[in-house]
Amino acid sequence: MLKKIGLVAVLAALISVVVATTAWGSAKAPRAAAAATASVKCGKRVSIGVAYPATGGVAFLGALQFDWAKTALSRWNGSHKLKIKLVQGDTQLTTNAAANLAVAHSFASNGKVLAVTGPAGSQEVQDSAGVYKGAGLAPVSGSATRIFLTRSKPGNTRETAKGFFYRTVPNDGQQGDAVANYIHKNLNKKRIYIIDDEEAYSQGLADQVQQDLKNVGINASRNHVAQNVSDFSSLIAAIPSNTQLVYIPWQQAAEAQTFASQLHANGKNAIVMGSDGIDAPGQFKTPGSYVSGFPVDATNPVYKSFTKAHKGQPEAFGLPTYTSIWANATAIKMACKAGHGKTTRSAVRKDLLKVKLNASQSLLGFPVQFLNKNKSTFQGPGDMGGTADFAIYKISKNGTYTRVK
Amino acid sequence: MHPLLFSVVDNIRSLGWGGAFQLLRNGLVLGSLYALIALGYTMIYGILKLLNFAHGDVYMVGAFLGYGILTRLNGPLNLAIGIVPAIALMFAVAMAGSGVLGVAIERFAYRPLRNAPRIAPLITAIGVSFFLENSVQLLTNGFQYTYDPFELGKTGNEELGPLYHTVFSVAGNPVTTVQLLVVGSALFLMTALVLLVSRTRFGKSMRATAYDREAASMMGIDTDRVIAMTFFIASMLAGAAGVMFGLYLGVTYYFMGFLAGLKAFTAAVIGGIGSIPGAMLGGLIIGLVESFAIGYVGGQWSDIVIFGLFILFMLFRPRGLLGSRAIQKV
Amino acid sequence: MSDQSNTPVPEPPDAEAQTRIGVDSWVAESEDRQARKRGFFGPAARGWDASPDPVKLFLFIAVAGTIPFWMNEGDLFVYGLFTVLYATLGLGLNVVVGFAGLLDLGYVAYFGIGAYGYALVSSDHYGIHWPTLASLPAVMVFTGLIGLGLGLTSRRLVGDYFAIVTLFFLQAFLVFTNTANPVIHGIGLTGGSSGIGNLDPLEFFGYSLTSVKQQYYFFLLVLVLATAGLYFANRSRTGRAWRALREDPLAAEVMSIPVNRLKRLAIVMGAALAGLCGAIFAAIQTAVTSSNFTLNVLIFIFAVVILGGIGSIAGPILGAIVINVSFQFLQPQNDHPSIKRWLFYGAIVLFIALMKPWYRAVVVLVGTVAFGLAVHAIVSATAAASWTAGTVTDAGSGSAGKAIADWVVIPNQTLHGGFATYAYIGLVVLVCVVRSVTGWWRTVVLIPTLYMAAVVWENVLAPNPAVTAEILFGVLLIVIMTVRPQGLIGTARVEII
Repeated sequence: MLKKIGLVAVLAALISVVVATTAWGSAKAPRAAAAATASVKCGKRVSIGVAYPATGGVAFLGALQFDWAKTALSRWNGSHKLKIKLVQGDTQLTTNAAANLAVAHSFASNGKVLAVTGPAGSQEVQDSAGVYKGAGLAPVSGSATRIFLTRSKPGNTRETAKGFFYRTVPNDGQQGDAVANYIHKNLNKKRIYIIDDEEAYSQGLADQVQQDLKNVGINASRNHVAQNVSDFSSLIAAIPSNTQLVYIPWQQAAEAQTFASQLHANGKNAIVMGSDGIDAPGQFKTPGSYVSGFPVDATNPVYKSFTKAHKGQPEAFGLPTYTSIWANATAIKMACKAGHGKTTRSAVRKDLLKVKLNASQSLLGFPVQFLNKNKSTFQGPGDMGGTADFAIYKISKNGTYTRVK
Repeated sequence: MHPLLFSVVDNIRSLGWGGAFQLLRNGLVLGSLYALIALGYTMIYGILKLLNFAHGDVYMVGAFLGYGILTRLNGPLNLAIGIVPAIALMFAVAMAGSGVLGVAIERFAYRPLRNAPRIAPLITAIGVSFFLENSVQLLTNGFQYTYDPFELGKTGNEELGPLYHTVFSVAGNPVTTVQLLVVGSALFLMTALVLLVSRTRFGKSMRATAYDREAASMMGIDTDRVIAMTFFIASMLAGAAGVMFGLYLGVTYYFMGFLAGLKAFTAAVIGGIGSIPGAMLGGLIIGLVESFAIGYVGGQWSDIVIFGLFILFMLFRPRGLLGSRAIQKV
Repeated sequence: MSDQSNTPVPEPPDAEAQTRIGVDSWVAESEDRQARKRGFFGPAARGWDASPDPVKLFLFIAVAGTIPFWMNEGDLFVYGLFTVLYATLGLGLNVVVGFAGLLDLGYVAYFGIGAYGYALVSSDHYGIHWPTLASLPAVMVFTGLIGLGLGLTSRRLVGDYFAIVTLFFLQAFLVFTNTANPVIHGIGLTGGSSGIGNLDPLEFFGYSLTSVKQQYYFFLLVLVLATAGLYFANRSRTGRAWRALREDPLAAEVMSIPVNRLKRLAIVMGAALAGLCGAIFAAIQTAVTSSNFTLNVLIFIFAVVILGGIGSIAGPILGAIVINVSFQFLQPQNDHPSIKRWLFYGAIVLFIALMKPWYRAVVVLVGTVAFGLAVHAIVSATAAASWTAGTVTDAGSGSAGKAIADWVVIPNQTLHGGFATYAYIGLVVLVCVVRSVTGWWRTVVLIPTLYMAAVVWENVLAPNPAVTAEILFGVLLIVIMTVRPQGLIGTARVEII
């Protein structure tokens, strides 16, 4: 008897849950939209959310980004009346992409967060775009380089909503173009071997460079190596001895150094060229190699003091995160001033378009102002316009980087 | 599947004999490393019937200890003492340190679970592995460190340090000092281990404890001490492998133990878990298979090839090449 | 009772380490139950045990169903939806590990196969858009079949070997989806490291489940159905046969229980449930990448099952609540740095307060504070000022931060970078020493250990909350296994001879 009552009770509960599920329509959307226009006082409580991989497979990259974020914050708070706090969010890129969504939801529901720096990965940006848009936030990423985040192409729609995503790093199209142009026009090499490290960042760049080279008639060979494997001996054995240039858009400078040294130790004298992921003067220092990176002004005092404080490592991969924090903070300051001490997320978002940083404020070596429409072949709304592009550096005998383009 | 097959045949042809020799050479070096780690797995399994997932992380700690010593001696470029004593010191400290770590893990994480159901020490091993990896990540900030083996002990203007001098060449393909060093030390350690297990009294007590722990303790063997010593030796070998990895490939970071441990584990199982010659053979096989797979099939398929090989062994010969058939008693 | 006799018989010296021979499971369980009913929560525990099982489920539904009313959407996603996800996954893993006794280290692969399966049939990747009512069952069946395939190999694989094979299966799955990504019909099957995006949301009879509340309720429904199903399975003949299989496979086979068939059934059921979770998860995330299914997630699910108690049905649910809520709470984006600090010091004080003779607790507490002040004074007096120049991270209120900085040695990080490493290693060594000694020595060594713990916390752990959460995770696994292997509400395992 009791069992029967119990059974009926469970069935009733189930039915009520089903009804609740179907009856809850999308009428709940206004709640999230309300956050976008909720007024926040610009006192000591405004925050910028920083979404970066603090743990997981690429935690070393997240650490670089966060180092620069901290530097930006302390410099801003030291020179501005409006004080800002950072709220960290661990997106665990490559370990648990669901964490990315958890971070997005946390930032969305945290009323003090007025702007977001990050996420680090292009896929993360796309996955959380809906959540951020619904909350009225426009993330400003310092490392998401996929072209379609800001630009659509026939057959590929734009992956984020216009006005809801910005980035302080030139995208894959720009970097790939710069590299392919340099290889073809300046170095004039024809036998190219491309190796990616099986990560989205690397694959995107490798695909772009391979496509660009194909467009000028160069058929580059392509191979892959897992990111955490350091034994390149068999990979090197597979590289033909007449290869002139090996392009490695990797993210771990120490591995790139090992690879280049092993390549030369095995008697294959191809030039090694890398991307901004291995732009690290202390670690990747094979003489005669090339690297694409930001046209940073090495005499900039902020850059110099950071390098000194971090054992001579400028940690260039994290530079755009500094720019992103600065841009976000500037937008918040503008919005707070216009709102006389109070502002909303949508006001901050719109003010991002008005942010103008000169070359020494952005630290990237070029001035920053976000685009509102398409520009040239690869840039779209949210990219940095102006002279934003990558530079090519050559590594000399004693390991120093000299800009060649 | 067809395009894959074509590209394999294509690769074999384009690499030719020279390429094949390179792959063979690389496979032997890599295989020696895997063999050393696999020996540790097999010894611990033989004596405790425990899969020590934390073993790969002991190897990682060994590599870091070696790096620490290298930095203490003023880094790869300006060695305070000669290169040979420096390397010897690195080996000594890394091996001792890893050994102590292994004994500590056994004492505090596994010993309380001697009589627990089999799942308990396995979960604990995973916990220890997690703890070690994340601790090192915390302390190193996830940074990758390098031994800089190409620069190590460089004198004057030569391009590569003494580790990378060519000792001899086969058809234009160089065999360098460091490769001989790795294979040589691995052989030396393995021979020493085999002699220890088969010729000494301690080795006899190890074999007795592995065969039947209760009976061995009844025969007056201090099984706790034997188990601790087994862990010490196994971890020592892993630490040596870590230093060798650093010297050969140069990179150390907190996550390196996981994949290496997994592959060494495959090696131990393929060779026959519980059998020492089996682990050595398994390690060499895995090293060669990986090397040739990367060279002929392509970087991204090598792991799948190894996995496929493993599954085949599991299905058709679960006791491995040299393992003994296990009799289950009720 | 033994406490009534005058001359208590001393226990054999290794009584703790021995299994209890000759005591059958009912006796062991009843003693456990007796202990619970006398405890602090005695009446509540008694009420819980006495109520019929459907009532327990109803209570759970009632509580869980009202959560969306008072939690905002962001928190509901993190604390509610994820808890339900991990609870369901834990239930599935419980079937394989708890019911059938097979250590399946590749369980997350089924989760992933379900997710990718859903992605392939409900997205623009190949242009296939099946209705949800068709795709969910199809994914379940598909994943179940793969589980069956793996299970067919289990005939030759016992215990440890099965664990290894499944671990490798997971690795192969990750490599396949992330790297190998074979090109079929023009595009890569799994999308490589970018995965597959723009998935269709779940849709039933015209209603799309797009808000967090809707998704939460749907997942809750799935959890309830799974719980009910497993409950009935557990009480059936099959459930009894599973328990026999778990306790002693060989004896079960001798008793003519079809061992292999039961193993395969357990694996298939666990796989199907994981596949269903994967499909729902993919729809919620509207994208799927291989990084959703790594070893970290597997360990999380294992911790959920183990903490809750292997073999019990309510166990994984309880485990999921405890572990997910505390894990998410410790994540850096949930912005409670000062609360974390008080939690840490509170935990230390609680630990001290739980020591048995009260005077020992007082000695340790006073000793730790005094020791810390002494060390701080010595260091300030003798070493350079930079050794105590650092500040407490995210000091909640100024006075508390200053007080702590005067007690704990916090050196200037950039000048003394190696301090963190040595302090951490020192702490680990001290903990090992504490575990090795007994009696008053233990009390004495405990004092510097606790102080060192505070030093390490302020210098290393608090500034890196994300990695700290992972470390605590590993420690949790070790501690549970060594102290209480049956988890929170599991029943004590007894080896029958």
